[in-house]
This record gives sequence, structure tokens and C-alpha cells, in this order.
Amino acid sequence: MTAPHTSAPLDAPTPMGVSAAPAAPELPWAVLEDYRCFGCSPHNPHGIALAFTEHPEGLQTSFKLGRSYESYPGVVHGGLLGVVCDETMGNLIVVRTGLVAFTVSLRLRYLSPVGVGTAYTCVARLGSDDPGGPLTTATAEILDADGTTAVTATATYRNVPFGTARERIALSATEAGRLDQALTATAGSQTAQEMA
Amino acid sequence: MSTEPDDIVARITEIVAAELGVPAEGLAPETDLRGIEGADSVRLLRVVAKVEQVWDVELDDADVFGVSSVADLSAVVASALQVKA
Repeated sequence: MTAPHTSAPLDAPTPMGVSAAPAAPELPWAVLEDYRCFGCSPHNPHGIALAFTEHPEGLQTSFKLGRSYESYPGVVHGGLLGVVCDETMGNLIVVRTGLVAFTVSLRLRYLSPVGVGTAYTCVARLGSDDPGGPLTTATAEILDADGTTAVTATATYRNVPFGTARERIALSATEAGRLDQALTATAGSQTAQEMA
Repeated sequence: MSTEPDDIVARITEIVAAELGVPAEGLAPETDLRGIEGADSVRLLRVVAKVEQVWDVELDDADVFGVSSVADLSAVVASALQVKA
């Protein structure tokens, strides 16, 4: 990710703790200069621009959502928390496999209200699936600053090679080629790390 | 994580004690969860969330909100593990 988030509304979420976090994985989507993913693009003024860093057990993102994302007064809308969990789990699968991960099911359990303007962290972990299978499961939890869990999530994703996913994604031929290369590089990098 | 019935009861007792801040020794399988000092709906939901994480299961809400004791919750977990197997 290189483009600054210059067009965000005043109420836009604030990615937190990037400087204190460990390595930030390069998302393959970063090769698309104008990708608009609501969850993780820095180019979508209506999105939440999540940024991810490595976590010892998976992938994490820190965020603070403002009143534009409110449900009851002072409470973040639960659907947005589903976006946060889904994004963190989905991108974890992508950076670990180099495969596109389509969400098949997503289930959330809300334990306590998530406050607007308050810092939280979402941590995603991979499930114990057979590598190479058609489905990958993952879990996520949203934690407050004290480490207390506010939301838990479980989800199942269908792993799709880019050649197959290409038919369902609106990309120009040039963009498709660049993204295919980036995903292949991600998969190769992960294989090299596993062999090291 | 063990799936033996007695082990499930023992582990859930530990989780209840930790989440509600009470000694595990004071809990029995038949203890009414809502009658434990300090218990409220949020804390009991935290128990459920922890149980789901420990055994990697998704418990049905209808089952979860129907349990009243450690033994009840253990039975729900055992049933979910059977479905998963």
C-alpha cells in the first residue's frame, strides 16, 4: 500500500498502532492503483481503510470507527464489525495462500457493545483445515484496549485460484495480469517461508 | 482438547470460574449459572464464546440460551462435537 488516504471523510476510521506493530504484509490488491474494497482499500472515501500487520498467530488490524458507522448512539453498527472480521480473516487466507478467498459463511457472536471513537484490535487465525482443500475456515475476535473480547467470529471461505476467480471480478486485462502476478508471488513467498 | 464428558464438565467449570471470578471448587455440575454471584447475561455469553473457542464449535443460540447449569452446557458441547465428528 503506497497511496495515502487523502480523501477520507472527517469521520473516517483511524487505523491504529501501525508504527508499533510488526511487519505489514503486502496485500496483492495493492498492485491495483484504484481498487475500492470497502474494508481494506485506501482509495475508497466511504470505506474503512483497514491496514493489517502480522500477529504471532495470524493477522491483525487495529481500528477506531467514528459516528458514521454508528448503530445505537455511541455504539458501532454490528454489520461493520462483520466487515472488520471478514476482512481480517479473508486477507489472512490470501497472504498465506496466494489464493482468492470468497466468503461462504460468516457467523458473529456479539459479547459487548463496541464503542464509536474507541480503539480496538481484530485478530484473525486460520482453522485446522487440510491444506489444499477447497474450503478454509478461520476465526477472529475483536478485542478492546484491555484485551477483553467484544466480538468473536467464525467463517468459511472457498479458495479459488485466480484463473477461476477472474471470471467473477471486474478487471481489465492489464489489471488482471498484474494481480495474477502478485498473487503468484504471494503464494511463492509463503512456500519459501514454509520451506525455510 | 478432550471430548470426554467428564473432561468437558471439568473444563467448562474452569471457564465459568475464570469468567465469573469465583472459585472452581464452589461449582458443581448442577450449579445454576444465573444464580452465581456476579453472573449476568454478558458474562455468561463470554462463557459461551470461550467454550466455542476452546472446542472450535458453533453452538446454536436456542441451545445456549436454554442452558441453566454447567452440566447443561456440557451436554450442548458434547452434542455439537458429535455433529462435528
